[in-house]
Formats: sequence, C-alpha cells, structure tokens
Amino acid sequence: MIGTSPLAEAFWRDGRCASCPVYDMHGHMGVWHSIYFPRPDAADMVRTMDSAGVKMLLFAHHASLFSADVGHGPAIEAVRQFPDRLRAYLPVNGAYPDQIKTDLKLMDECPDVFVGIKFLCSYHLVPMTDERYRPAWELADERRLLVLAHTWQDSQYDGPEQVRRIAEQYPNLALLMGHSCHGAWDQAVRLAREFPNVYLELTAVLDDRGVIEKFVSEAGADRMLFGTDLPWFDPHHGIGALLSADITDEDRHLILHRNAERLLAPLL
Amino acid sequence: MGSAETELTFFDCNAFIGRPVTGILRPAPTAGDLLAEMDRNGIDRALVWHIAQHDYAPTVGNRMLAEQIAPHDRLVGCWTLLPMCLPEFPKPVDLVAQMKDARIRGLRVFPESHRYLLRREVFGSMFDVMVERRIPLILSMARGTSWQAAYDLLAEVRDLVCIVSDHGCWGADRWFRPLLDHYEHVYIDLSDYLLDGGIEALSADYGTSRLLYGSGFPAQYPGGMMMAIRHAEIDPADRQAIAAGNLDRLLGEVRL
Repeated sequence: MIGTSPLAEAFWRDGRCASCPVYDMHGHMGVWHSIYFPRPDAADMVRTMDSAGVKMLLFAHHASLFSADVGHGPAIEAVRQFPDRLRAYLPVNGAYPDQIKTDLKLMDECPDVFVGIKFLCSYHLVPMTDERYRPAWELADERRLLVLAHTWQDSQYDGPEQVRRIAEQYPNLALLMGHSCHGAWDQAVRLAREFPNVYLELTAVLDDRGVIEKFVSEAGADRMLFGTDLPWFDPHHGIGALLSADITDEDRHLILHRNAERLLAPLL
Repeated sequence: MGSAETELTFFDCNAFIGRPVTGILRPAPTAGDLLAEMDRNGIDRALVWHIAQHDYAPTVGNRMLAEQIAPHDRLVGCWTLLPMCLPEFPKPVDLVAQMKDARIRGLRVFPESHRYLLRREVFGSMFDVMVERRIPLILSMARGTSWQAAYDLLAEVRDLVCIVSDHGCWGADRWFRPLLDHYEHVYIDLSDYLLDGGIEALSADYGTSRLLYGSGFPAQYPGGMMMAIRHAEIDPADRQAIAAGNLDRLLGEVRL
C-alpha cells in the first residue's frame, strides 16, 4: 500500500473514496490520430470514472479540437447522455476566426453542456494572445467562465509569458493552466501566486516526481486542480501519484475535489 | 475483500539512483535513499541502475552501482553494456563473472547516447551469451535507443530477453505491440504506460506474463503505477504477477 494515510487506505482498498469525490478538470474524448485508446467513448470513460470515484469530468472532445468539419456535435451528445457526470469545454481554434464567432453562440444555446472554453494554441499554431481569440477571451471574462488552456514551458503560443499577458488582461475568468506550463515549474508557481484567478492544473504533471510537493509548498494546494487527459491517462495512476507525493490528506482533498467544487458551484 | 486481493508485493523493474546531469527535482543519490522511498510506498524489491552509467561513464557507473547495492539484498543491479571491440570494457566471459559477484542480473544499452550501433558486429558474441544465459537487456526508448534500433536488434537476435522501457506517456501500443507479436521474449515495463484501460487491453491480447511493474523512480512517483495495477480489471493473481511475479521469474532464470 502507498503510505498509511486514511485516503491512501481507502483508495488502495476500494479504488475510490466516498469522502473524497474526484473532479477531473482536464479530459478529452473520442479517437485521435496518434494514440490507440482502448476506452475512447463516453460510456467507456464514465465506467472508468466510476471505478476511480471520479464524480465529474470536464472535457474537450478530440473532434472539437482537431476537426472543424466534425465540430462540437459529439461533445454535446456525450454530455446529454451523461448529464450528471460530464461537462464540456468549447474549444476555439484561431486558425478559423469566423468559426469562433459561430461556435461561441453555443455557450447560450447549450448551457447544459458547456461550462467554459478550451485553448490548444500549441497545436493550432496561433498564440493565445492573438487578436483572433479576443471574442472568446472577452466572453469568458464577462461571464466568469472556466478557461482551460494548454500551457507548455517554452512555447511561443502558450508559454508562461503568454499566460501572464492574458491573466493581466482578463482578471474575471478562471484560467486553468493545463499542464501547469509543463517544465517551467517556477514560472507556473509565480503566475499562480501573482494572479488569484490562475490555477495549476496537473494533467501530465503527475508523472513528474517532486512537482506536487513544490506546488503545494510554494503556491498552495488551494491553487491546484486534478486532471488526467482521460482517455489518455488512467485516473488511478494520477490518484496514486498524489498518494505517493509527500503532502497531507488535506492537500489531497483540496486538489481532488474542494477547489473544483468551489469553481464549479456557480456554473452547474 | 480478502487480504490476498488487497496485499500486493511489488518488484520494481525500473528505478535508478544517483543525480542526473540535467537535474531532477527529487533525486535519490544513494541506495539508502531509494530504499527509504520504497519503504514509504510499500515496494519490496527493485532492479536498479546508476544514472552515472548513462550520464558519466558506464564503466565507472557500473562500479558505483555495485558498491551501492552490495549491502542491500532487496536491490538487484543492472549494468550498462559497451561495445566489446575496445579494451575499455570486459569480454563476455569476464563480464558475466563480474556480474555474478556483484549481484547484477540485467544489462542496459544506450547506443545513441554512447555512439555505437546495436549490432552483432559491435558486440561480438555478447548477445549470444545473453540469450544462452537469459540475461535481460533493458532498452530505454527515452534514453538513447530508437525504435528502429530495437526492431533491428530483435530481428537479428530474436531469442534475446528484452524489456522495453521508458516508451513515453503517450500510449505506445503502435510501437511495442508488433514486438510482442513477433518476439516471445519481449517484456513491457509499465512505468510509462499511463493509458486508461491499457493494462486490461494488453492483458486480454497477450496475457499478463510479459508485463512488468516499473516505477520510473526517482523521476516518477512510484504510487502511480502501483494504483493502476492494484485496480486493473484483471484477475488478482495476474495483478500480483505484474507487480512482482513476472520479474521475479525472469531474473530467476538468469544463469551466471
């Protein structure tokens, strides 16, 4: 067993813990070109969520992210199939600015589906500060939405400097730094400390030993959110990493559910 | 739930000691540091190597590893191999004798980092000795081995016991499944295999006897893959085989 804390005992024994529901703030869905996924569909993913005690998943569908021709239909269908378990981010792609304006209307048309906006700028090759994204940032800021942005250490599209400029300009939205500016851990901590609306999201961070302890001690567990890229990564792996980290169960409660519950309360 | 289902023992196939030249947040400089973290996480044994075997000099790193693990029966060593065509490295017969004395049961290669080709012309009879003695070769796909080199080596030495390791956190099935299909002595270190449902899918297609628990320590948290194995939707006996039994069997078959 991993350690001796009450949470470690419960998760090790049962795979989930009633007093510690998990909110996965960074997921995807569906097939994708570079990886074979054994469990890519909504029903498969909800089954995985059940086994790990994941109460809710917020996701950006691969179709929404990578094919403007397929679009957001699969995400809408999935959320409406599992309305108690899933919510979606609305991905925007700066390569198609007219499509952004059209798609943002879905925030009003499907309030039961979308709770925020997703930026994947390193893949879409348009910087998050680009003027073409302005309507999306303004809407998110005006409505105090969640924004999940892929962020990576030295990216010219969504690196720490781009995050800083966005955080300065839009103080009302909740900016989840997906992957916490992966590799630029010190800069990610500085951003979280400097801007109260900027959060450290842990997808692909949980397999880098030592980062959890660093974030907890330097930014605080109240600024961290759990994520897995599901169906990319097994949530049990992420939970196990948190149990392995040298932090307290109180920290784990904040990371796994309390921070997310606070952010989602006005949106659900 | 019975204790047999909850109590797993773990034998880690992928842990290193020493401080990497490029730096990591929480290195484990000594065997004592590794053992302390194994105790904290509930890991019984480990097949360990020293990062100096890659980052500094294999011959020196091999010696450092032997010295570190000597007092600790829970640790089994894994040395780094260099080409046999130069006087800097022992010949196969001498190497095997040294391995036996130092409790070394596996070998690693880093052909791109150490600038050679992974071929018979370079290693002489060493691969045949490894096949005969069932000495596992660990290929780190993140440290100096290409998939092309792995495929070419196994095509040439198809009975080599080979552990494919460090294959990246993006599901690598398209890279390693053909090796499982074609070479019966290929094993997969799971330390990077974070794929949701991956253990179950691999187990269904290949059985569980070729899957090995690896932690990736100290670069990764040991508990991540422990939890994934603990709650994999497979038979409890298969979980135990992946957690420790398969590596135990593999290393038990090594003849030095």
